[in-house]
Amino acid sequence: MNKSNIMLLCASPRSKGTSAMLLERIRVVTGGEIVFLPQKGSLDKLIPAMQQASTIVISGPCYINTYPARLVELLETASSAGGFTGQKLYGIINGGMPYVHTHRHGITLLQLFAERNNIAWQGGFVLGVGAMLDGNPLEKHMDRKTIVPAFDMFIQHIAEGSPSPDSLYEQAQKPPSKIMTYVFSKLLTFLVVKRIKKHGHDPDAPNWYIREQK
Amino acid sequence: MIVIISDDSKDNWGAAFEETLLQTESEVFRFSSNKLDIKPCAACGSCSGKTYGRCIIPDDMQQVLVKIAGCCSLILISPIVFGGVSHHIKKIMDRMASIGDPRYRINKGEIVKGMSGQGMNYYMVGTGNNISEAEKSAFLYLHEENINIMSAKGRAFVLDKGFNRELINKTAQEILHE
Repeated sequence: MNKSNIMLLCASPRSKGTSAMLLERIRVVTGGEIVFLPQKGSLDKLIPAMQQASTIVISGPCYINTYPARLVELLETASSAGGFTGQKLYGIINGGMPYVHTHRHGITLLQLFAERNNIAWQGGFVLGVGAMLDGNPLEKHMDRKTIVPAFDMFIQHIAEGSPSPDSLYEQAQKPPSKIMTYVFSKLLTFLVVKRIKKHGHDPDAPNWYIREQK
Repeated sequence: MIVIISDDSKDNWGAAFEETLLQTESEVFRFSSNKLDIKPCAACGSCSGKTYGRCIIPDDMQQVLVKIAGCCSLILISPIVFGGVSHHIKKIMDRMASIGDPRYRINKGEIVKGMSGQGMNYYMVGTGNNISEAEKSAFLYLHEENINIMSAKGRAFVLDKGFNRELINKTAQEILHE
């Protein structure tokens, strides 16, 4: 891999979140520069950089089970422009829920984009409970013992330009047990309700837009 | 009330669905997502904190959220794009977080969330021509995960024979009889 020719694309609107943290971890090994997806204006100017890269790594958050709209817009724009010549593409998606299946659609989306556009799909990495990291190092992840070596292996695949199998991330994170599911659900709800009440709102009140209709 | 939100960039799918549904005396409200000024979700977190239940981005999504929050059925109609929806429709989906219930619950042994209010039926209609099996399957998977995370009910439909009135009528009827 030509180190100067890797494009590390952050698809999150947050520049210091988990998506960017994961790309920075990759950048330390592979070199290259992290490019942040502009949240407004035309995306046309990003297309030449994508076409000229030999490897593209996209890291983004999971919104409603797949990547955010702005990345979909970039993929649509890139697909219309064409001009891809076998670039290698890797994808990373991270979301709050501790289940791979909740976020996996993003990886499928990238694979289908690659297949349509003469881009070599090299594999993805799904990271559950990524939102809770809030940009903190991967070593703070609740499954760090298995996630850290798996993600570092994913980075090695990028550095070597080799395909990364789904089993890498699938085996690194297991869904929580019944008891932990209950504990997480209660704990997370407690934190959410505390936050809502802190701002003077009633979590049981009808939604603001429903009140607005009346 | 039924709310239809369609990406009508190529064909006027939304109007065709609306026409069929109106024949049954349903109350229908329709938006063409490609004609709305909707900015992407900024992940500011305000809708689950400072302005709980309300998105602070002042654009056309405000009028869409008023309608969705009170509807009994939401129908999203989109060309299938890489096994998902177009960015016009995805912007709507991303911004729907403000009418979600941020509290967690357990369903089938997994942590999920829900929607505010009485809940709604959530339908997705994917359109196109000769859509590959991989894209169809990804589109249906996305809907399945959506209804799971939102604790909603509903179905996804793939109409892969281009703009076809007969198929639109049949799908609209199926949605009505759900």
